[in-house]
Amino acid sequence: MAEALNAMKKNKILLLVSSIGVFVLLAAAAIDENFLKQWRRIQASGSHDGEPIPVQLRQVVNMGLRTADRCVSCHVSMGPGEDGVTGNALFKKHPPVVHDPAQYGCTVCHGGQGLATEKDDAHGTVHFWPEPMIPAAVAEAGCGTCHAAPGVPSRDTLRQARATFERLDCGACHRVDGRGGTIRPDGGGMEGPDLSRVGITGYDAGWHGKHVAKAAAADKGPWKTSFAPVPEADQGAVAMYLAVRNSAPRLTEAKSVFLSYGCLGCHRLSGVGGDEGPDLTRAGERDPGQTDFTHVPEQQGLDNWIAEHFRSPGAVMTGSKMPAVAAPESDIQQLTMFVLSLRRRELPGAYMPKDRIAVARMGQREFAPDGATIYGAFCAGCHGLNGLGRTSGDETFPAIANPEFQKLVTDRFLTETIARGRPGRRMPGWKKEGGLRPEEIRVVVEHLRALAGVTGRTEEDAWKANGSTAEGRKLYAAACAGCHGDKGQGAKGPSLGTRAFLEVATEGYLRDTITKGRPGTVMPAFGEPSTVHRTLTPGDVESIVTFINLWKGK
Amino acid sequence: MSPSTEQRPPLAEFWDNLRAAPRRILDTAFRGGSPSTDRTRSTFVFGNVFLHLHSARVHRWTLRWTATAGLGIATTAAFLITLVTGVLLMFYYKPYPDVAYQSIKDIHFVVPTGRFMRNIHRWAANVMVVTVILHMARAFYTAAYRKPREFNWVIGMGLLAVTLGLSFTGYLLPWDQLAYWAITIGANIAQSPREVTDALEITEWFDPGGFQRALLLGSEVVGEEALIRFYLLHVMILPLVLVGLMSIHFWRIRKDGGLARPVDADQRLEPEPGVYPVFTQAPEKTYQLAAVVEGRTPAVGRGPENTVPSMPHLFYAELGVLMLTTLICVALSIVSDAPLKELANPSVPENPAKAPWYFLGLQELVAFSAFMGGIGIPTIVLAGLGLIPYLDRESEGTGLWFGGPGGWPLVKRALVVGFGASILVEAFVIRYGWIREWFPSVGQLVVTVLNPGTLLTLIYGAYSVWLVKRYRSTRAGALGLFTCFLCGFLVLTVVGTYFRGPNWDFYWSPSQWPRH
Repeated sequence: MAEALNAMKKNKILLLVSSIGVFVLLAAAAIDENFLKQWRRIQASGSHDGEPIPVQLRQVVNMGLRTADRCVSCHVSMGPGEDGVTGNALFKKHPPVVHDPAQYGCTVCHGGQGLATEKDDAHGTVHFWPEPMIPAAVAEAGCGTCHAAPGVPSRDTLRQARATFERLDCGACHRVDGRGGTIRPDGGGMEGPDLSRVGITGYDAGWHGKHVAKAAAADKGPWKTSFAPVPEADQGAVAMYLAVRNSAPRLTEAKSVFLSYGCLGCHRLSGVGGDEGPDLTRAGERDPGQTDFTHVPEQQGLDNWIAEHFRSPGAVMTGSKMPAVAAPESDIQQLTMFVLSLRRRELPGAYMPKDRIAVARMGQREFAPDGATIYGAFCAGCHGLNGLGRTSGDETFPAIANPEFQKLVTDRFLTETIARGRPGRRMPGWKKEGGLRPEEIRVVVEHLRALAGVTGRTEEDAWKANGSTAEGRKLYAAACAGCHGDKGQGAKGPSLGTRAFLEVATEGYLRDTITKGRPGTVMPAFGEPSTVHRTLTPGDVESIVTFINLWKGK
Repeated sequence: MSPSTEQRPPLAEFWDNLRAAPRRILDTAFRGGSPSTDRTRSTFVFGNVFLHLHSARVHRWTLRWTATAGLGIATTAAFLITLVTGVLLMFYYKPYPDVAYQSIKDIHFVVPTGRFMRNIHRWAANVMVVTVILHMARAFYTAAYRKPREFNWVIGMGLLAVTLGLSFTGYLLPWDQLAYWAITIGANIAQSPREVTDALEITEWFDPGGFQRALLLGSEVVGEEALIRFYLLHVMILPLVLVGLMSIHFWRIRKDGGLARPVDADQRLEPEPGVYPVFTQAPEKTYQLAAVVEGRTPAVGRGPENTVPSMPHLFYAELGVLMLTTLICVALSIVSDAPLKELANPSVPENPAKAPWYFLGLQELVAFSAFMGGIGIPTIVLAGLGLIPYLDRESEGTGLWFGGPGGWPLVKRALVVGFGASILVEAFVIRYGWIREWFPSVGQLVVTVLNPGTLLTLIYGAYSVWLVKRYRSTRAGALGLFTCFLCGFLVLTVVGTYFRGPNWDFYWSPSQWPRH
């Protein structure tokens, strides 16, 4: 054949093969697009009253929340007006919740990628989607996107409050989370209203008086037989319990655990808390794509990362100074759930929930006002759950709830130390923006007294040291400077030469502490004979106190 | 009227016309009848507004696959594909920050075939960048830039620049992290003259870098102004410029007597017995126009030698390349999705933030010196490329691969020099650092003048000058320099793409990148 014809034939073959290839690929793409899409196949398996449902893209659009969630393209029954679609396990209806998913959409609570129409993309478990779905097991964490339950007590307080509610047998007439409120023998429904969400809806504050009056008026039936007046302390516990009855009881529970481990001592939450660690207000929004999972055994899932971070902070996050949280695994899971719930979303006014407004704008506390809760939320991280101090790595945090210490110190000493902190130590002053209010410091002091089981000193010790300054200087250098620094600046032991300390520590307190030591810390009792440290006579102690007090003038 | 027509039924003529209408529509649309003879084939070409950019006959030399590898047509085909898919994407794309990202998500997840179209658009754009570079290499290595095609080479460089501009402006449109930080890097490259003005402490009065950046972004940062600018450039201004330049590029090919071929092309081809008549000698015909048109006209005095009709020979070839390009783009689109990272977040910089791949060689140079990488060396390269046809006034080897003094052996040695020098310089810098690491207090201007980029440029330049002297031929120097330039581009781009991690540090693979 001629060359030109050969060339043309080659070109013809090229054209033919390429064209067939393009046609085949386009046809394949068209088939994929129109028949093989995951959501199309899922919808094709569905039927409504025996009729197949139309296969079409479905979505829940909420202009206010600025969401367009196509999750209902697969989870069809959760869409608006799509009841009774059957044929696929995915067509399960949404469990009854306060916010109708057909109106609110899905991602606002669950996270994930609402615009996506394929499983992995939609569930957000892909690269480059910063908001993966919250695991179903801790789904209530999603409530934290908009809500912030105020006045949550620490775990023990909450348990006691719940125990009180149960001990008083309120469940005989009232239903909570589907339990209790048994039918009366003489017919009719529940006597008392359902209290499951009474923390949101509110209840009659004068309930006790009305209960008493009704019981007195009744001549038979449960009112006569079942009700007796409730002591005042128990009324308070019941009120505390009812105040946190909302639609997310598990999240409240998790929050109560969070408020028991002293996290706020170092971290801020919505502006309240310490400044040692990072702000936790949006800690649940951590982008997994920007997170190092190298040292997390499961290697994936933000919940795993957070849980492992509680177990060994330094390993998971290089350079973290956070002490490991000494908590049982169940508490770690609760803490993880709560941290996952720490997220924020810009909400239009109409969608801003009351609790968030109360917390963000009205200054309402997210924690309950009792001493145990505030101690749990702010102090327990360092001073231990029961105030007996703790050691983490090479750091020792002093015991403060031991009777020996509590007997020595005045209310003023404790209050001022909490308010002003211990300069040079990790103890911050809590009288600050985002810190504790005077009333809150007061209940913490009360709580410490109660923990120690002593009433403590109310009168200041009027004893004044009148020893030899020179002798004191010598003795201080020999016995104290090793831990407290040669100028009282502190080293291994706390600083003594600060005004904040000397203004609240009376000379009597110094004398007694030197003589009797601080149980729960390395500070020994110098008044007692020992083989490891020198023994000081009362005269020696007086000289040292005289010397230390010289720093007060500085 | 004649009696015979009177006897016909009244509507007969109407029916006849109606029956003939389809054929007549076809005849009038494609004047000149079926392209079955040589004459009608010619009419088919010059009677068609789109086809008449081609000459009616094409030289057999040009039709050989090895002559051009179809790279120019492939580039055009890729452009047509991006044009079609791009217009389709415009139906859904909304050029406003954040909304843009949502609309890409919509295109990806909801719009029927949207993802597919976006993938094709993205792949065709990348194919276009690759083929335009290869096309330039082909034109260079076959010395096709020589007289009378000098200026067409310059126009081709303009087309390369516009192609890169189109690709770069399109990069921002998805408004994801990848786009945002790539454009931030790109804008910083535009700002690179600041390195020199800062060192001279005259930025306050004379700040061309800041001006370029502001011109590009319309603001201090990549924001809505930048997005609308990039959008307008991407969908309107640059495509119009590209189409304009392409028209001139094609028209000049025709005016320059087809593609470049060796003077002895006819002897190099096998004799053509041919089904179609092939003119091996000038036919008996006259060119009236030749009397009034000055300069070169297509065939005066030489006759259309070893040519065959463009219809169908050339058109099969062109359509074949078009469909092959389409096939490649479609296949790539099925295999690999266009990237879409998380929504652009100005407060979370990507580390490393990388420019689009074809600028990663530049970014590598910018890491050495912003001014030299961003302005200095690109200017030298562009000036060098633009001057090639005006410095090489030789004729040996036109139309032949690696034609000219030295030939393929020279190019082989230049490949060794090009790859060797660039890899050695990179390895040295990665292993031992550069002046800044050795003498931290040294002035910026010293680093600007003396950095790995300028060193590499100097090596290539010196090698090329040596070649010019050794072969006594500018073409030989050009062959060496162009080859070195391609090698350097390749090495720097590969290093920038695969071996640079956070803070632009060297890593063998991304798996070694430190995690935060």
